[in-house]
Amino acid sequence: MTGLGELDPPGTPGSTGAWDTRSEEWLAGDGDADLADETESPRDPGVPAEADAAARTSPAADPEDGKDRRPAARRGAADPVKSLMHRHRELCERAVDPLEIAAGLEAHGVTDRTAARFRHRDVFSLAEEMYARVPRDAEPRPRPTPAAAPRARADWALLALLPGVLCAATVAGLHLTHGRTRFFVAAGGVLAVSIGVRAAFRRGPLAVPPGTHAWRSTAHTRAWTWWLLAYALLGDGLLGAVLAGGPDDLPNGTTDGPWPLTAAPVLALTLACAPAAWSAHLFAAYARRRLAASRGLEEFSAAVQPLLLGTFALFLCALAALAALSGTALDEPALYPETLALGALLLLARLLTVHHQPHTAFLALAAAAGAEALAPGLVLIGHLPGCSFLAVAVQTLVDHWGAGGVPTLACAAAALTLLWHATRALSRASAHAPTGEQT
Amino acid sequence: MDNRPSHHRLVRIRSSRCEPPGQRRLPIREIGGAHVRIGLLTEGGYPYVSGDARLWCDRLVRGLGQHEFDIYALSRTRRQEDEGWIPLPPHVTRVRTAPLWTADDDGAGHGRRARRRFAECYEELAGAVCAGSDDQADRFAGALYGLAELARDEGGLVGALRSETAVRALERACRAPAALRAAREARVPELLTVAALLERALRPLSLDWYEDDGLGSADLCHATAGGPAALSGLLARHFCGVPLLVTEYGVQLRSHYLAAGAAEDAPSVRALLAAFHRRLVGEVYQRAAILTPGNAHARRWQERCGADRARIRTVHPGMEASRFAEVGEAPDRGDPDTLVWVGRVEPAKDLVSLLHAFAEVRRAEPKARLRILGAPAGAEGRAYLGHCRALAAQLFPDEAEGVHAVGDNPVSFEEIGAPEAPTLADAYASGAVVVLSSVVEGFPISLVEAMFCGRATVSTDVGAVVEVIGGTGLVVPPRNPRALAESCVALMRDPERRERLGAAARARALELFTVEQNITAFHSIYLEIVAHCPVRRVVLDDAGEPLPFAAPAEAHIPGRWTGSPARAVARGGPGWASDTPVRGARLATSEGAR
Repeated sequence: MTGLGELDPPGTPGSTGAWDTRSEEWLAGDGDADLADETESPRDPGVPAEADAAARTSPAADPEDGKDRRPAARRGAADPVKSLMHRHRELCERAVDPLEIAAGLEAHGVTDRTAARFRHRDVFSLAEEMYARVPRDAEPRPRPTPAAAPRARADWALLALLPGVLCAATVAGLHLTHGRTRFFVAAGGVLAVSIGVRAAFRRGPLAVPPGTHAWRSTAHTRAWTWWLLAYALLGDGLLGAVLAGGPDDLPNGTTDGPWPLTAAPVLALTLACAPAAWSAHLFAAYARRRLAASRGLEEFSAAVQPLLLGTFALFLCALAALAALSGTALDEPALYPETLALGALLLLARLLTVHHQPHTAFLALAAAAGAEALAPGLVLIGHLPGCSFLAVAVQTLVDHWGAGGVPTLACAAAALTLLWHATRALSRASAHAPTGEQT
Repeated sequence: MDNRPSHHRLVRIRSSRCEPPGQRRLPIREIGGAHVRIGLLTEGGYPYVSGDARLWCDRLVRGLGQHEFDIYALSRTRRQEDEGWIPLPPHVTRVRTAPLWTADDDGAGHGRRARRRFAECYEELAGAVCAGSDDQADRFAGALYGLAELARDEGGLVGALRSETAVRALERACRAPAALRAAREARVPELLTVAALLERALRPLSLDWYEDDGLGSADLCHATAGGPAALSGLLARHFCGVPLLVTEYGVQLRSHYLAAGAAEDAPSVRALLAAFHRRLVGEVYQRAAILTPGNAHARRWQERCGADRARIRTVHPGMEASRFAEVGEAPDRGDPDTLVWVGRVEPAKDLVSLLHAFAEVRRAEPKARLRILGAPAGAEGRAYLGHCRALAAQLFPDEAEGVHAVGDNPVSFEEIGAPEAPTLADAYASGAVVVLSSVVEGFPISLVEAMFCGRATVSTDVGAVVEVIGGTGLVVPPRNPRALAESCVALMRDPERRERLGAAARARALELFTVEQNITAFHSIYLEIVAHCPVRRVVLDDAGEPLPFAAPAEAHIPGRWTGSPARAVARGGPGWASDTPVRGARLATSEGAR
């Protein structure tokens, strides 16, 4: 054995193929049986012929030596590293770097003393040889199965119907009652609808992922949302009353009083929670599928943008239908522009909040709500002596488009801005990153 | 370095303090004296009740009562945080904890300049991680410190690290010509995963610890593990010039590889993360003033990952020796025909091989008995124990003294605390030879305990066994029952040799593996560090004015008088000047380079 180490030093092979062929032949053949073949086989240029012969006739490598109790000899492996690699082939195939093989080998009890049997100084150099000898053919690795896209589930699908049902019940109650009872029905209805909306948004595609920054900032967003809905219910009547010099009385829950209610848009919007959840679900599921299939970020963005616009349009269609339905049911004008603008704004804001962009959503909602509050405010200030010029703009707007022009304009402007932002922000891959939160 | 107070208002990952701000003590300036203020950095360990290695840290802190400890603990889970702390000794002046398990995005949006700064740094970081070549240490370090400075100045790093900018930078780096093979296959989901995992790994950058009243007030930072704790120490060294001591009882990089091997991530994710952790570990090992691995195995990993041999001191873990004193000092009362195995029952202990070896022992010594003492670890351990019991029943029929006596199996499975073995020391004392048959072993605690008890041992050559046992016991190859049996028989037949080996083993254990030696070793390392790498601070007098000549001039001489003086370069100097100094002058220059 003396001098053998110098003759046949371990090292990274010059060509993986030649080494593998040769060692496979050694493994397959039984010792000297294929000696003639061996001399013809492609030979690693770094290893001289004498070294090969010496290695094969050395006791450690000779399979004929049946009395030797060493396992390597007993199993007839002329290339001990090869059999080691075979034993740990899964580790070798998975390894991304020699240190990973070293760690895995050590976990299986290979020490430096073991490595010395393979004529290596330590486990690290043994691992390096193994890493270099892993066949890396062109065969592509099986793609990891993409994470299952979110499936539609009964819980959120049913919960999304809840606000609409509660709102319809409340409106029906308002129509059937009078006086004090009507007031209590209205108060209870508002409470019930708000609880229903919260429950609907607690889970499903419109739920904010817990643990993110968005989760805490939604309180403000929620306040502005309620303000916008309240304006949709009471705002038109208020603006008309203010322009007429009022309001002289509190709203009495009817459409023909001094401060009339416009319940149709609110009913349509609460009913639209279900289509909103479904379109958000469609968007999320498709985006997740595109995410798994995309090679690059640009490709993903290009695929997701039309999808966003498509689902958005789908939602608007559904909302228009619901607006028509609720208008007919309540025997009120359907108020399409107002309803559609507000619905679009709310959906986009919610989508942005869900996809890690709560700040923009909050800004847009606040701007729209501020503009709506400004209109009656300006008219009221215009009643003061010398300030009548302030009310001119609002007056002109209402003269041309009616009282609904103010919220339509405010919400549509905000929704368009959000749409423009959303087409860029929601088509980014980072907006669809799963939040890997641990608790 | 930006020290303006206005830049310190941003609290990124909120950490708790144990003392109210009014009672906060000013730093103690006895640098180089016997009184050292140590910033002890832990991750998921001390002082939490459920922490790893808390026993060791607790003994260290209690053992060094003359020094002052500030504990900076990173918690791993919410449960750990809820379970609370163990009682702390009075010389722990401060405990600050921070959660690493929650992504506390502070929502601070970056301005245009900060965004550009972030993009540049992250681009560099991603480039250094994805690059296939190994000479990226400088680039990686520059990017890492750039991000840390950004987090300190502007906050909002958590959000930025998950932003589209980061993902795009990663994609560009993966598609670059010289990128890693596996990285080139990364697709969008993999890029997102890598960005999220990098954000997790870089959370220590957002901590508010690296200030003059935080880690900056310590004389040295002692990271009790690699990984996030060591990263915090690295940043304290960068921002405040506090020297770093890293203790590793288990190599963090190795456990990362093992964990990554078990996870079902895509190859590109594993390759990129492995590259990141390798570079980070390399930077920690480069910058640490002293590294203290727990055994030669950890030491080899550290050397492999670029640690300088001259700065490595192996400090073996210490164990409580007093509970074994009685057994160790008393004359041998053990039954000369009994072999003892003590430990947790799990497949890595290879009890099957031990039973086969015992079968051979029985052929030579028919009166031999084997006691297996220990509880199974987990469901796998219970299944394995059942398997071993069945095997023992098959191999060895029950035997009795005579025809009228009730028989018993020569192999007994017991647990510590049973009437036959009330304490661990009694368990060891009951046999002539203690056997260890593991195929995988880290630091073999049961072997050290046997040594404390003055037992002769036969163990397999795995892990740190040879390093622990020295020449005071027999060592055989793993998975070799015949060799194990031959060694056991040899010892059973030779009481004198047993006694000699036992005494030598006890002497060796008392010399190397006691708590006292562990604490003394760390004490001297602390003093060595504060003597060699004092923190350069402006000392203030009572009125808060800088005190001129407060530190003697000789304390400022960088490096050795006779060494290569040209290597003392201020931070921010050219990279080539502080790179790869001559061995031997390295320790000195690393201080001078600050």
